Formats: sequence, C-alpha cells, structure tokens
Amino acid sequence: MTALAMELTPRQRTWSSFRRNPLGVASGILLILLALVAIFAPLIAPFPEGYGADTSQLPSAAHWFGTDDIGQDVFAQVVWGTRVSMAVGVSASVLAIVIGLLIGVSAAYFRRLDTPLGVLVDLSLSLPVLPLMILVAALAGPSVRTLAVVIALFSWPEVARVVRSQALSIVPMPFVSAAKVVGGSPLWIVRKHLLPGVIPVVGVSVVLTTSRAVLAEAGLSFLGLGDPSSWSWGTILHKAQQSGALASAWWTTLFPSLAILLLVLSTTLLSVAYNDARDHRNDS
Amino acid sequence: MRFIGLRLARGLLTLWFAVTVTFFLVRLLPGDPVLAVADPNMTEELRQKLLADFGLDRPLGAQYLDYLGQLLQGNLGISFRQSIPVTTVLMERLPWTLILTASAMVTTIALGIPLGVLAATRARGWADRLIQITGVTAQSLFVPSVGIFLMYVLGLWLGWFPIGGAVDLDATGFAATLSMLHHLVLPCLSLVLIQLGGYVLTMRTTLIEALGEDYVSLAKAKGVRPGAVVWKHALRNALLPTTTIAGLQLGTLVGGAVLTETIYAYPGIGRAIFEAVGQLDFPVLQGAFVLLAAAVVAANLITDVAYGILDPRVRTS
Repeated sequence: MTALAMELTPRQRTWSSFRRNPLGVASGILLILLALVAIFAPLIAPFPEGYGADTSQLPSAAHWFGTDDIGQDVFAQVVWGTRVSMAVGVSASVLAIVIGLLIGVSAAYFRRLDTPLGVLVDLSLSLPVLPLMILVAALAGPSVRTLAVVIALFSWPEVARVVRSQALSIVPMPFVSAAKVVGGSPLWIVRKHLLPGVIPVVGVSVVLTTSRAVLAEAGLSFLGLGDPSSWSWGTILHKAQQSGALASAWWTTLFPSLAILLLVLSTTLLSVAYNDARDHRNDS
Repeated sequence: MRFIGLRLARGLLTLWFAVTVTFFLVRLLPGDPVLAVADPNMTEELRQKLLADFGLDRPLGAQYLDYLGQLLQGNLGISFRQSIPVTTVLMERLPWTLILTASAMVTTIALGIPLGVLAATRARGWADRLIQITGVTAQSLFVPSVGIFLMYVLGLWLGWFPIGGAVDLDATGFAATLSMLHHLVLPCLSLVLIQLGGYVLTMRTTLIEALGEDYVSLAKAKGVRPGAVVWKHALRNALLPTTTIAGLQLGTLVGGAVLTETIYAYPGIGRAIFEAVGQLDFPVLQGAFVLLAAAVVAANLITDVAYGILDPRVRTS
C-alpha cells in the first residue's frame, strides 16, 4: 500500500481521497446537473412570458412548481433562472479571481506595492458591500452584464487577500531567489513560480467566490436591480414580493429559494471536501 | 492613547475611502452627475442652481473638495422623490436599523458562545457534528429565503408574530415597547440564523486551539474544575479572535439587514434603500451607503478600542 501511495503524485492523491468523500462527490454531481439545466434550459421549459390562464395555482402535475399571479409556470422560471444566476455567478467569479490574482501576486512579489495594495484590500473588506453594489448597479442600469461586473468589482479583495498570503510564503523560497539570480524577469518568475504555487488556493476561492456571487446576484435582483428582460432566482422572489405573493403563495418563493440553497450549499460542501482531500496529514 | 489614536486614524481613513470611491464611481459612470443629487425631470433653472450649489460646473478636483466639505456639514443631497434632504430621510430610519442589527448581534453572541463551547468541548461527538453541519448549512442560506420561511411558519401559520412593520401605531407607553419587541422578533431571528453559523464555527475552532494550550494543561493539573477551565481560562482567550471576525462580518450583517427589512417592511435604512431602488432615487442610495459605512466604521472602532482596553496584547500588535 505504501509503495503504491509513494508513486502517486499529490494531485492523484487529492483526487483519490476526494472520491472517497460521498458529500463532496454528491455536491459535484449536483453542480454538474445544475450547469446542465442552465445550458439546456430551452429544451426543458419554454421561456416564461406573457399571461397564462391558470393564475396562482398550487403545484400540480401540469405545473410542477405551481403558477404565479399572472399564470406563468414557476418551474419554467426556476429553470431559466438557473441560467442567469449561474452565468452571473460564474462570470463575476472569474473576473474577480483574475483581478484578485493579479493584485494578490503583485502585492506579494513587488514589496513596494504591498503596503498600498494591502491597505486597499483591508479598506474594501471593511465596507458594507451590498449597499455599494446597489448604488453602482442602480446608476449603471439593470442588465446581466452590469450585475456580473458590479459583483466582480466588489468581490476581488477577498481573493486578493487569500492569494497574497499564499504567495508571500512562496517568495522567500530558494527557487525564487535562484530564478532571480539566473536573471529571470519578474514577469517570468511570477508566471512560472508564483502562479502555479497559488493555483491550489485559488481552486477553493473560485468555488466560494462563485457561491457568494450567486448570493449577491440574488440579493440585487431581489431588491429590483435584476435584468427586467430575463429571469434569475432573485428576480422570481422580487416579482413575488411586488405582487404580494410573498404572504399568500408559498410555492412562488419556496422553489427559487431551494435552488439558491442547493447551489450554494453544494459549492460550500465541494470546497470543504476539496480542502480535506488536499490535506494529506490525515491519510493513513 | 496612541492605540486609540491609531484606530481612530484608521477609521477615518476607511470612511474617507468609502466617500471617495462613491464620489468617483458616481461621476465616472455614464450620465448627468446632477442625477446623483436631484430629479431627472427637474427644470433647467433648478439644474443650473444645483450645478452651482454642488459645484458640478467646476473641475473634478474642486468638486471633490466641495463634496467633502458638504459631507462634513452633514449634507448628503436632496431626495428627489420626497424633496427633502437625504440626511433627514435617513436619520428618521437609522434608529430602526441600529435596533435591528444590534439586537441581532447581541442574540448571535449570546447563542453563539454556549453553542461554540458545546461543540469544542465535545469535539467529534454527535452534538459537535450536528452543530458543524447546521453551521455550514446556515452559512449557505439566502437572507430573504430565511425571512420568507420564518414569516410563513411563525408569522402566518402559527400566528405568533406580526409579519410587517416595526410597531403598532396606536400603542402607547409600555404597550408600544412591547409591540416594538414583538415586531422585532422575526427580522432579528432571520439575521441571527444567517450570522450564527459562521460565529459558532469560528468559536469552535479557536476554542479547540485554546484548549490545547499549556496554560489549560496547567490549570487542569492544578485541579481547577473542568467547567472553570473552559469558561474562565480557555474561553476568554478564544473570544478575542471570534470578536475580530464578528467585526469583519459587520458588512455582511448590514447587507443582511437591507434584505430583511425589505421582506418585513421594517422602516429602517434597508427598506429606504429598497424604496429608493424602485424610484431610482440616487441621492438616497448614495447617502445610505455613506451612512451605513460610517456606522460600520464606528462599530468597528468601538469594539477595537474596547478590546484594546480589555486585552493589552492587542494594543501592541
């Protein structure tokens, strides 16, 4: 057994110990399913628009999640909502990760930038972000792209902080000094030595930033800053609030709420499982 | 004294940063900057007057100094839907938000400490597992979903608590206070459920760490009762990092309050923000952010200084 374990690369060991965690695997499968729903939404349900004959109906065989006050199918809303919620979540997260990586790595490598960038990150983290996002989203006008950019704009400091602390532990390593001695340019050193070193931490960050971005999108859309021409889970809740269905038709709010919970919970569990799997101290 | 001065400077720096970011965001985004302080349907005459009042016809640098000057005098612009100063609109709402967030914070800590102790002292037992699973789940909750759920179950089905507003308007004296508390339960509970998970999990980790320290072994060896070791020795040291994290989460708490107040029609700043979004009342949105940022900075400053007094180690770091 030990001979076999010795031959495995760290990545293979992480993967094999991840596979043995049922919660992590289940979360991964659930996320893939949600992504498939988002991609194939047009094949699953027609885009919810206009007025339907059956208004405010309880869930039934014809309408799995019931209908809202103007007769639209809530199941179709949730399916199409998956698309926008995940698209905004993923794109905001990717953007935030790129900015966070750049700032975090520069702060760690270029000592002169560390203090100003550190102060910038600290200050951004200590402000109430949601009211700030609301202001900017309202000024920029509601659209899916605005939401993604606004959320990314205020989510990168978290990533930058994590990346910086990881990169700081790599900078004093002998191989970095060696790379400097042989005349490697800062850009080359950052690309060849620092980035590969911080990628594992970023892996967890991607997942957590995405779930936070999904929650931020839901919050902004719930407050009425969503794209009026498309559906997201937060938009469904906003419409329920506007029509007064909040206090009368539980199915209009329960299903989008469950969708948010499932997505965020599975991303959280996935990152916990990944962290556990990466930590080989418990392997025996 | 030097410690308090440093923290104060830091708080002021944060506030300046918040105000500056708002200033430049509002002006760099496309659109007439006057929109940030008044109605888009205003007369040209009013527009010119506002341009002059807020100095918007002048270079950006001079405008910026003016803006800071106006802020120092408490001028946050005019709400163009209500035609009264934003400061007046928000100051009426601020007490409600403070009551809501402060009660949520106190309840979270009051529940979080015993739960954290329970999880840490029975680490890896069933109570600990249950607390951990619930804690992780609670961190994944969407505030409005929790609010709606509690509203249904405790408000509509069981009918225990009112589901909207902050107080019965006809109640007076002691009855008014009772009614206020009665209305506070559901919004406060929603916020507590969101905050508690993270708080307990941090508490658990730091307390388990503290329980492994030498002074805990020493206390045990001296024959101090196990309960006293946990509550008097380890807990005190575990509280500090936990409170620092609670301070860092203030921003999240404020965001949660905005969403919760919207659900329960609770007349705080959050509800004002929701109404302002519907009416595109930018001055109110901008003022609300500045005010909430100031509240968060002030709260952080107070906890920092209080901890500096209680724990001398903080002062030197």
